[in-house]
Amino acid sequence: MSPLILSRLVPSLALIAALFMAPSARAEPYLAVQSGLKCAQCHVNPTGGGLRTPFGNLWAQTQLAARKLGSNKDPWTGQVGQVLSIGGNVRANYSSIQVPHQQSSNAFELQEARLYLDMALIQNRLSVYLDERMGPGNADELEANIRLWLKPGSLYIKAGQFYLPFGWRLEDDNAYVRQLSGISMQTPDRGVEIGMDRGQWSLQLAVTNGAAGGPEVDDGKQVTARLEFVPGAWRVGISAMHNNVPETVGDRTGVGAFGGYHWRQFSLLGEIDLFKDKGLGASGRDLMASFAEANWRMRQGHNLKLTYEWYEPDRDVSEDEQARTSLVYEWSPMEYLQARFGFRYFHGIPQNDFQNRRELFLQLHGFF
Amino acid sequence: MPPIQLYRHRAALALAGATVLLTSCTPGDGVGLDANGRPPGESGGGQPPVVSEANAFRTIQDTIFTPICSVCHAGASAPLGLRLDSANAYAAIVNVPSVQVSSLRRINPGDPTNSYLLQKVEGRAAVGSRMPLGGGALPQASIDLLRNWIAAGAKPPAASLVAPDGLEVTSTIPANGEVSVSMVNEVTVVFSEPVDVALALAANQVQLLAERTGERIALQSITLQEGNDSVLKVRPAAALPPGSYELRLNGSGAARLAGVSGRMLKRDFSAAFLVTVGGAQ
Repeated sequence: MSPLILSRLVPSLALIAALFMAPSARAEPYLAVQSGLKCAQCHVNPTGGGLRTPFGNLWAQTQLAARKLGSNKDPWTGQVGQVLSIGGNVRANYSSIQVPHQQSSNAFELQEARLYLDMALIQNRLSVYLDERMGPGNADELEANIRLWLKPGSLYIKAGQFYLPFGWRLEDDNAYVRQLSGISMQTPDRGVEIGMDRGQWSLQLAVTNGAAGGPEVDDGKQVTARLEFVPGAWRVGISAMHNNVPETVGDRTGVGAFGGYHWRQFSLLGEIDLFKDKGLGASGRDLMASFAEANWRMRQGHNLKLTYEWYEPDRDVSEDEQARTSLVYEWSPMEYLQARFGFRYFHGIPQNDFQNRRELFLQLHGFF
Repeated sequence: MPPIQLYRHRAALALAGATVLLTSCTPGDGVGLDANGRPPGESGGGQPPVVSEANAFRTIQDTIFTPICSVCHAGASAPLGLRLDSANAYAAIVNVPSVQVSSLRRINPGDPTNSYLLQKVEGRAAVGSRMPLGGGALPQASIDLLRNWIAAGAKPPAASLVAPDGLEVTSTIPANGEVSVSMVNEVTVVFSEPVDVALALAANQVQLLAERTGERIALQSITLQEGNDSVLKVRPAAALPPGSYELRLNGSGAARLAGVSGRMLKRDFSAAFLVTVGGAQ
């Protein structure tokens, strides 16, 4: 073996070996809970989601996948040279939806194709980050921001367009807690975020337009904050937001608590959010949503997820609550690929068919 | 037991308790509520679509927007600022440019093909996923209802459902308090029923003022929107330069704005907005 090949192979193998001993981490919050790590360990974005760090990429190839088919030489870390990092996700779905008293529908769909790009203009200090949705349809930017680390690894300021920090950053944008807050990976906002990572604590504070990706139409701003304590096997956090808008629209205020715990191959996640929206109905409404998720990581590459969600659209009205139960099997047969097979059971008031639909889905998820 | 282990066990118990609590909440049985989960009389009740020009929008609101879309698209944090709850839907969509494809209006009255909201529910929009997100396609009957309403001019809710005791302004474009980031060369006023344009053309009934100086802006025309007599178009002589403006409608005195039914505007109306991009000063 030539010295050149050896010099490239040894660090790679050493890194992979280190990763086999390292706790796991992943974009989905349940694996962050399993690993006891913060989001920033696996994602360039300190609040999670999007482009993976070299650690996140290598972990996905060696720990998430049931087996590794590709070569161990020069594993993909996302880094292209010293400055540029790239990544992406493509999710292709087949889903069948049954709404009572209606003809069932089924379709193959491209749920999303995303491309991530991070330019580390000054190492550990200054980055420009893009999260571009390439499909379905024409491209549009979801995140586009500048991130300046005032203290490398512990204090940053971010400006531009980004996802807001609130509760668990779930892959499922249709989870009731994400619908209620209006904060998901479909609804970035424009403004400034300050974040701090110190020891077991993480804190983010964002001031944004509060327009959920739309143009600013008033002088009011939204303040969103998230505080998380991660001692290891368990974690807890709180979130709060206030969207100050003209009286004719009506302010929106929300608070939430979330937590997680893991024991062996099992992990539990929970979140509960309460909102007051003065813009709904004649005098505003109090709303509430909760989320509970149990994961059983049967063995490497295989995970079974059971989720129960509950939604209260108006606390002053009884018997209007909705629930959603999901059972999802996630199989990662090889690096860069995941298959997800799931069933969702919606349960609402009997006189509303849409609230009582059933959904069966199969998803292929390719990522790098 | 070491403190860290003690905390861990307590955390496990707390999490288990919280999980039991979270999963003990059950869905409602809907007793005493209409199909939209609201007390009787508050919403339309989600009746099946009835093809009637007079109640087309109300049917769309009650069977599509309220029960399906407004789960996400409501309140101050509605995605892309698109609020589809019953109080805001009409003003948020009719003749309002789409955020994702700004060359298209969310609803372009008379032109279903180029109405972005319809494109989104039909799955032929240029950007993003089909709506409702993750909910499957709307039934064809609902899509047809939406398409037919747009083709017929996207008329607002029937007056009898909105303002039984007088003419009302449902919305304006730009809206009150809006900061317009695009050129404003007309102001749209949506009334609760067909409006008498002859009264609108009378002196001092419709005024557009520069808010800072109180100077009246010269108007080129005041017309009804083609195919929709409930929508008044107020066009200044030139695109408005950047600045603050106020639209005033006379709703007091004997000679005031009224609908073709004779019902008068209930009170003086005023909407102030800011233009940031505009014509020459």
